[in-house]
Amino acid sequence: MLTGTIVNYYFHCKRQCWLFYNKLNMEDNSEDVHIGRVLHELKLGDSPDAAIENVKLDKITPEYVIEMKKSDADLEAAKAQLMFYLLKLESKGIMRKGRLECIEKNKQDKKVHIVELTDENRQKFELLCREIENFLTSPTPPAAIKENKCKKCAYYEYCFV
Amino acid sequence: MKEEARYIFSKGDLSRKDFSIQFKNEKGNMYLPIKDTKELYCFNEITLSTKLLELLSKAGIIVHFFGYYENYIGTFYPKDYLLSGRLTVAQAQVYAEKRMEIANAIICGIANNIHFVLYHYYRHGKKDLKPFLDWLKHDVGRLGSSANNIKQLLSIEGEIWARFYASFKFILPEEFIMNKRVKRPPDNPINALVSFGNSLLYSKTVSQIYHTHLNQTISFLHEPTERRFSLSLDLCEAFKPIIVFKTIFECINNRKISAAKHFDKKLNYAMLNEAGKKIFIDAFETRINQTFEHPVLKRRITYKQAIRLDAYKLIKFIMEGKPFKPFNAEENL
Repeated sequence: MLTGTIVNYYFHCKRQCWLFYNKLNMEDNSEDVHIGRVLHELKLGDSPDAAIENVKLDKITPEYVIEMKKSDADLEAAKAQLMFYLLKLESKGIMRKGRLECIEKNKQDKKVHIVELTDENRQKFELLCREIENFLTSPTPPAAIKENKCKKCAYYEYCFV
Repeated sequence: MKEEARYIFSKGDLSRKDFSIQFKNEKGNMYLPIKDTKELYCFNEITLSTKLLELLSKAGIIVHFFGYYENYIGTFYPKDYLLSGRLTVAQAQVYAEKRMEIANAIICGIANNIHFVLYHYYRHGKKDLKPFLDWLKHDVGRLGSSANNIKQLLSIEGEIWARFYASFKFILPEEFIMNKRVKRPPDNPINALVSFGNSLLYSKTVSQIYHTHLNQTISFLHEPTERRFSLSLDLCEAFKPIIVFKTIFECINNRKISAAKHFDKKLNYAMLNEAGKKIFIDAFETRINQTFEHPVLKRRITYKQAIRLDAYKLIKFIMEGKPFKPFNAEENL
């Protein structure tokens, strides 16, 4: 079953996505992750606003589903995560727009990004979800390719040792 | 240096005080902050409370207990926080299908690292080591890959260690020469050092495996039934020469530890006394926390982390089929 995190990881790094899905999560020593978690708690409290099946929403208002991120480091992945939430809500008859708030803006000038479901991206995304589900059943993860973002990742040592 | 392992040598009570560990003995109260503590080693009679265990469990701190004769008693192991059903199943499958491959890799790892340690002495004039060094370099690999079953591999391993111990006469002072390896209990100073060092390394490895998803009971070289956490026996083998034995040689040859001063005379010098234990543990900790530049990862890591990395390599073999090759001192330094 897909979750927001898995969709996010699929965009960020397919290998990370596979490992995470198969519960090969690593011990968390990352200071950034720590900061992110605390920021989250400060802004949104530690319990989610709503939980539907395996989807947990940070915050939901009459107009928006709000997802908060520490930084705008991987906007595409965060937007995909939101799209996933929107589709999930829609299937339960709840119509919302997505609102992504990044606390640090390093790569983009905007802090807030709005995501909306349209006929076109709805179809695309439904296909994508099937693609992800297929991908997760593969017996081995895709090979590791060293990139700049790898150095910060909790899987770095596992991937490249 | 971050103090991650804390050693307790005196009798006393361990309890919880707010979010710290409180240790009470004759001299009074001591507080160990929970932050930066990853392991506790208890070498004496310790009383502890469940309230403390709850805190330790929450913070993921592992406690190793040793008996009066420095023997390893056991480990308080907080609830597993990393579990992967898929890996556990695959680990058992690899045991059934590819056990020899991993066991053989471990034996080559031992041989390589012993070669690395002894080559240092050979270069400094101990030419008598030559036959053993050549044997390690040229014969062990061949013998290992032609072995048909685990028994044959184990006898090669036995021979490696026996010849290694026999080579001590070329590099150590007379009072520390080993005639025969004796365990449980050891019967002379060098056996005592080896036993003590090995059990320290064993518990360090248990702690490192705890931080991975590997199942501690499914081992490859050693029989899974041998001890409860037999995987630790497997993974610590390749590190023994560079961590345990280099520490021993350093302590003896730099005259930090002497047979007359640092062993219990009442027990025929077969056990370190408290001062000896402290010196040895100090040297051991320094070594295991020593860093080197990892050639592939391009970052500085400690030997302790290197043990964890070997565990990762094993996971990678199990999950992705990447050949398993234990830590090799020569390639890393």
